Amino acid sequence: MSAVRCVDVCKTYRQGDEDIHALDHVSIEIANGGFVCLSAPSGGGKTTLLNAIGGLDVPDSGEIYIDEQRIDNLNKGELAALRLQKIGFVFQAFNLIPVLSARENVEFVMQVQGVAADKRRSLAMSILDEVGLGGLEERRPAEMSGGQQQRVAVARAIVSRPALVLADEPTANLDSKTSDELMELFTELNTHHRTTFIIATHDRRVMSYAKRLIKMLDGRIVDDIAQA
Amino acid sequence: MILTLRLAWRNLWRHARRTWLTIGAMVFSNVLLVFMISFQFSVYDLMINNSLRAFSGHMQVQAPGYIDDGSMRQTVAEIVPLASRLRQDFPDADIAARASGFVLASSEQRSYGIAVYGVEPAFEPSASSIPGLVTDGRFVESGDEVIIGTVLARNLRVSVGDELTMLGSGRDGSFAAAVMTIVGIFDSGIPDLDRSIAEIPLATFQEVFYMRGSGHQIVINAPTIDSASDYRQRIRALLPDDLELHDWTALQPGLKQAITADLSSSFFVYGVLVILVAFSVLNTGLMSVLERTREFGILMALGIAPGRLGRLVLLETALMGAIGILLGALLGGILTAYFGVTGFVVPGMEEMAVRFNLPARLYPGISVVTLFAGPFVVFLVSILATLYPAFRLNRLQPVEAMRAA
Amino acid sequence: MRILIKLAWRNLFRNHRRTLIMLSAITVGVWAMIFMTAMTQGMVSQMVHDGISVIPGHVQARNPNYGDDPTVNNLLPVPDSGIAGRLEGRGFSSWSTRLSVPAVISSERESRGVTLLGIDPEREADFTFVDLETIDGRYLEGVSDQGVLIGAKLLERLKTRLGNRIVLMSQTPDNDIADRGFRIVGVFNAKVELWEETWVLTGKETLQTMLGVPDQVTEAIVFGDNYRQVDEVADSVGDVFDNSVSVQRWTELDRYLGTMLEVMDGFTLVWVVVIFLALSFGLVNTLVMAVFERVREIGLMLALGMRPSSILGQIVIESMLLLIIGLALGNVLAWLSVSAFPDGIDVSIVAKGMEMMGASSILMLDLRLQDVVLANSVVLILGFLASLSPAWRASRYDPIEAIHKVD
Repeated sequence: MSAVRCVDVCKTYRQGDEDIHALDHVSIEIANGGFVCLSAPSGGGKTTLLNAIGGLDVPDSGEIYIDEQRIDNLNKGELAALRLQKIGFVFQAFNLIPVLSARENVEFVMQVQGVAADKRRSLAMSILDEVGLGGLEERRPAEMSGGQQQRVAVARAIVSRPALVLADEPTANLDSKTSDELMELFTELNTHHRTTFIIATHDRRVMSYAKRLIKMLDGRIVDDIAQA
Repeated sequence: MILTLRLAWRNLWRHARRTWLTIGAMVFSNVLLVFMISFQFSVYDLMINNSLRAFSGHMQVQAPGYIDDGSMRQTVAEIVPLASRLRQDFPDADIAARASGFVLASSEQRSYGIAVYGVEPAFEPSASSIPGLVTDGRFVESGDEVIIGTVLARNLRVSVGDELTMLGSGRDGSFAAAVMTIVGIFDSGIPDLDRSIAEIPLATFQEVFYMRGSGHQIVINAPTIDSASDYRQRIRALLPDDLELHDWTALQPGLKQAITADLSSSFFVYGVLVILVAFSVLNTGLMSVLERTREFGILMALGIAPGRLGRLVLLETALMGAIGILLGALLGGILTAYFGVTGFVVPGMEEMAVRFNLPARLYPGISVVTLFAGPFVVFLVSILATLYPAFRLNRLQPVEAMRAA
Repeated sequence: MRILIKLAWRNLFRNHRRTLIMLSAITVGVWAMIFMTAMTQGMVSQMVHDGISVIPGHVQARNPNYGDDPTVNNLLPVPDSGIAGRLEGRGFSSWSTRLSVPAVISSERESRGVTLLGIDPEREADFTFVDLETIDGRYLEGVSDQGVLIGAKLLERLKTRLGNRIVLMSQTPDNDIADRGFRIVGVFNAKVELWEETWVLTGKETLQTMLGVPDQVTEAIVFGDNYRQVDEVADSVGDVFDNSVSVQRWTELDRYLGTMLEVMDGFTLVWVVVIFLALSFGLVNTLVMAVFERVREIGLMLALGMRPSSILGQIVIESMLLLIIGLALGNVLAWLSVSAFPDGIDVSIVAKGMEMMGASSILMLDLRLQDVVLANSVVLILGFLASLSPAWRASRYDPIEAIHKVD
């Protein structure tokens, strides 16, 4: 069974007088437990594809399936529920709620999911431990390094055990050592929990961790390589 | 829920100055509202009590049409037995029968047209404050005794012990005359009463004015003004159909309307204050939403519904509003209580106070209603003002929102 | 300076939503200041106008004892004919003399206590409280008119009709009762019902004859040009009489009215300041936010060599621009809403209550230039002061820190 399937997806933006084909008849299938890097130069369409898969952006045409459930025709509320339950997101840095501690940031999403308070707390503590933040649970984002903040974001993304995690340039604001640590964490989670990862990046170090590398240019897939 | 509350609370203090300024606007209005409303309602109570206790009472039994014409012929027959029957049925109420007429009252040196009232010497002291305000001499007991107000006494140049001649017409229109002895002079502080009325025993009145046992009004005071309408219903049920029972709003329409007029102009003032607070809250709410666009975008990308974020923004306003209520009621209460002890004087108010049967120094009282009514409205309006920024979140697109600076 | 204004103006509309909200708040506040003031001033000036028509006069000369004992025993110690000669030609806008005594009026069915006025109808027509347009029957004709003019309400109370006879009883200086039958020649309406019940009018000479006091009056009534400036008139009337006559201004004759005028003038200032304070929280808030958002920009300007005073000036100018636009809109709105009620606001639903306060049931709006100036200057001056604190803070930033500030 595939975790993600895109069939002939198109998306066009207008910029000034020009039409930008951000997604130009894109079709891909990503299996459960996949570890995929999407690489493309800026404007290559990787963020648009990631957003379309995550239900943040609706394509002009084509079909998108998550767990064989079609999502491109869902309404806003259904998409929100889908993201909440099935998809974890990790963005570039600075994406935590600044007034909440690491633990509270993780708990907040669970609270919205309706997880009971005591369960929420123990889950948050164990997941933070798992991502290597044991002992830093009560720190606010401003009191943590960029790498630590990204780990909180990862913890938040995977705490509800989503089948799919989408990461958009997760290492953009990190140094190389921290980037490596983050990618090792992803790899470990992928191996342990069979969580599917799709990571949009143009960082070569990140690509080297991927089992499969999809290259895009001008909204089209130009290369699809399986890696060891 | 606790987490959301904590989140809302911490969000408030991301801009402590802004939050305090917004709360400051609420507190400023709340303190004013608490003080003004407490003051106003104390004044109204005092106006009503002073005016009604002085003479007209909470309600009166009268013949139909008497309230408009006040004619000598519009009588209540066998008024004394009727009053004593009502007294038996309503032992807690103060009830007294009266008759009234218009006479030319002459002393040796002066003559004035005045209203003369026949009153029951045994019961009038509980129904009206005038008998208790006799400062010189005593209240009437029986026979040809009369009490008059201080201003009238001065104008007539008479004092206790002097004689007063009354000329008028009786119930049947015939000439009525009597010579009465002044046994007391009262000082009610209400210029109209002190200048223009005299009281004599009801029995004497009925004789002089050929009333044949009838009178014009039975004054009834319920134990409190609040219980008056309840008493009114019960008394109405017992009265014969050919008699009318008027409450104080009918007996003193000016009083009721003066209060209404004053209330409506105050509501304008309060309304303006509340609207200005609403603008402050709206501004703060909008700012707080706009500056968190990115943050909200990420939360929405994580799958959190805009409605939930809207509730968060509303909760933030509710927290500010709650602080506003607490501080407003506290400071407003202290301010009001302070003046409740020392009294409150508006410079130059004395003349105005007399006009409304009020003392020159006023002592505002506090009740739960006057303490919280104003702040509560400010709270509600603040919530209303936040609905706009909260609903704007529905229009937020996560992808664009995340790109916002 | 011009560049500062240009900068302030553009910055003001950078966050147009916030500016518009603040502008609405200022507009509403200024509108409320001016409209409410126009309403209270309208009410007061009408109360005073009406009050003066029943006192009557801006200034009265009377026997010093008349105030305590307003009877025929306290006549002016000067013959009527002498007063007339002295008041004429002194530039008063109008004047008259009258005899005013307590009396009892009786129809064939009812009796009432009233104040009987012997007047000079032609002179009193200038200022009388009687509505001359709506008299049923006729107004009095000359000082020797033998008829009486009574109020519509009193007519109803007495259960009588125009043309019927009534009897008036009053006291002579010797405390004899003088009574006399009169024919009702006119029924008048007045703004306040109480006046219709209180006053009965007849010819001055007729009343003098009835009471046996020929050529005698109780008061001389004088009007100047403006009720707010009566001192000169009072001095001038004082010159006419010697010390045996008491000359009083309307503010002394009706202390309630006199006080009312002062209290309301004070109220206007209090009201304007209260509204401003309610506004000031929002104003300061807006400025604090505007400064906060622009910390880096302000740092940059300082780094580029702009003087701190220019930063301060820019923020203050921004605040003043906001206030000036708000004031302009508020003033226009107030003027429009006052113009919307050229005939006043009908509050007859609480007529009796207004009567108790001494006001009539039509509230006229009185938009006075001085009140508008007061409101506008209070807003500008206090607004200037309120904007100093955030502006000063902005000018104190350390440029390096400010540039590197991340929100």
